[in-house]
Amino acid sequence: MDIYLPIAGMSINILVLLGLGGAVGFLSGLFGVGGGFIMTPLLMMAGIPPAVAAASDCNQIVAGAASGAYAHWRLGNVDFKMGTVLLLGGVAGGTVGVEVVKVLRELGNIEFVMKVIYVLMLTTIGGSMFLESLRTLRRSPGAAPAKPTAERKVSIWARLPLQMTFAQSGIRTSALFPFSIAFLVGVLAALLGVGGGFIMVPAMIYIIGMPTIVAVKTDLFQIVLTTANVTLQQAIRNQTVDLVLAMLLLVGSTVGAQFGARVGRRLRGEQIRILLATIVLAFAVKFMVDLLVTPDNLISIGGGSGGGH
Amino acid sequence: MSRTILRWLRSRAVTVAGVLAAVLASSLGRANVESPEPIATDATQTQVDIGMMYAGGYVYFFGWMPDPSADVVVRLTSVEDEPIVVNIQGQVGPLWMNVKQYRVSGLPRMYKIHSTRPLAEFLPEDLARELGIGYETLKDRMSLEAVRGEAGEGDRDLVFDGVLRIKTDANLYNVDENRIRVAGGKLFKHSFRFPPAAKEGTYVAESYVIKDGRLLGRGEDRIVIQKTGLEAAFTDLAHGRPTLYGVLAVVVAVGMGLLVGFLFKKGGGH
Repeated sequence: MDIYLPIAGMSINILVLLGLGGAVGFLSGLFGVGGGFIMTPLLMMAGIPPAVAAASDCNQIVAGAASGAYAHWRLGNVDFKMGTVLLLGGVAGGTVGVEVVKVLRELGNIEFVMKVIYVLMLTTIGGSMFLESLRTLRRSPGAAPAKPTAERKVSIWARLPLQMTFAQSGIRTSALFPFSIAFLVGVLAALLGVGGGFIMVPAMIYIIGMPTIVAVKTDLFQIVLTTANVTLQQAIRNQTVDLVLAMLLLVGSTVGAQFGARVGRRLRGEQIRILLATIVLAFAVKFMVDLLVTPDNLISIGGGSGGGH
Repeated sequence: MSRTILRWLRSRAVTVAGVLAAVLASSLGRANVESPEPIATDATQTQVDIGMMYAGGYVYFFGWMPDPSADVVVRLTSVEDEPIVVNIQGQVGPLWMNVKQYRVSGLPRMYKIHSTRPLAEFLPEDLARELGIGYETLKDRMSLEAVRGEAGEGDRDLVFDGVLRIKTDANLYNVDENRIRVAGGKLFKHSFRFPPAAKEGTYVAESYVIKDGRLLGRGEDRIVIQKTGLEAAFTDLAHGRPTLYGVLAVVVAVGMGLLVGFLFKKGGGH
């Protein structure tokens, strides 16, 4: 059963899209991570134009994060002051990122840049997940996993200008660091269609020194608005948001996430975490090979109108 | 004596008449090439709709065969000839990336040739060129304009061959020399596949009846591909009013997200 994606300008089997969404949703439900960094590569491999894949995935993340934020909203714990700083950085970064996408599409190298960043990012994520899981597996099963000591490098940030007190998180630090990390995440959201939780949350906990629960919830709040901004900007500047694609992915991933969460509650996840790490590393290798091996056809049709019609 | 002269004159007259007739016939024949007889052709539909379930479609074409021993060749092209941007990859260090860009015009979006038998067997080269049949004629019509990078010598061939491969892989270009069937020597019929990659626009199928290396008749059918319903609404909005479309995309996503969060209490990943 085929469906025609109006903005991607192509026909694709609807079950493939629901399946992709479901698989990524399952993984994200299982591990409690966002699936953006797997979803966009999968869409690219399924033949969706890279720029459309990233923009539509971002659109779908808006929905996913909104439902997450809705669930957490009532429970409180969002540091709105920190959230606002992050939001400013995220919006600025996303807006700049969308312009970068526009220029790269005109140069015909958006796919190249996406692949290079994905190789770096997926290698880092997959590699660290893999090593961490191996370490945990090697430890005696009874021993409590030794938490990496949350070294609060507050001292460095304490010397920078723009000091602010974030009461909810119970810290006082410079607004510069949260702003710049959120800026980076905004750029990545535009370029790759990722929510950036995998960068943002560890940065908030280990570098800024926020309590974990506050970090996770503030991140969700921040992601909804950052990805909403990127979606809007992509629609205006690049016309790459495929709403039909985004909604199909959402349906798939919502259902998948429910199953993932249910299975995740029953399983001891280290083996599966290694599996996820392996998948992520496999993607990195795939893109690496794409970049290194002589292409089958040196010619491609593209430029500014690549994803349009 | 006079009788022999008379006989000679008579035989001469026959020859002259014969020559005159031959000249007349051949000049008529030439006139036939310049304005061949219009032949009746038709298609099963004049419009292909791109709806939600669009996955390409077949359109059947029919035509009257003025002479059972003639051959038919049909050329399907897009009427609109929009220039495309073509990238050429090159190696930068160990990595492959696009290093050159050309603006290419003169290549139709779709180009398909169907015929009753191999073209080489019935279509002289100059007539093929005149009618724009064959990839060679496309290549002659293609023009390149360097946008980025140094224009190289072999680039013309590289670009044409590369684009040809992309187009044939997408079934937008194809030459099928045994596709047309002739029923009872009177009716030729065949179908063109419009692949999912066939975009909106007007397409024209021109049928040429060829006999003894000459054009006997021609016919023309136009097919319009257009988006309908939601497909058209989304595309028009996305390109015509992008801000509104962006706002809609965000609102729909937030709405769906909240609905999902409400339905499942605990939302999925982000």
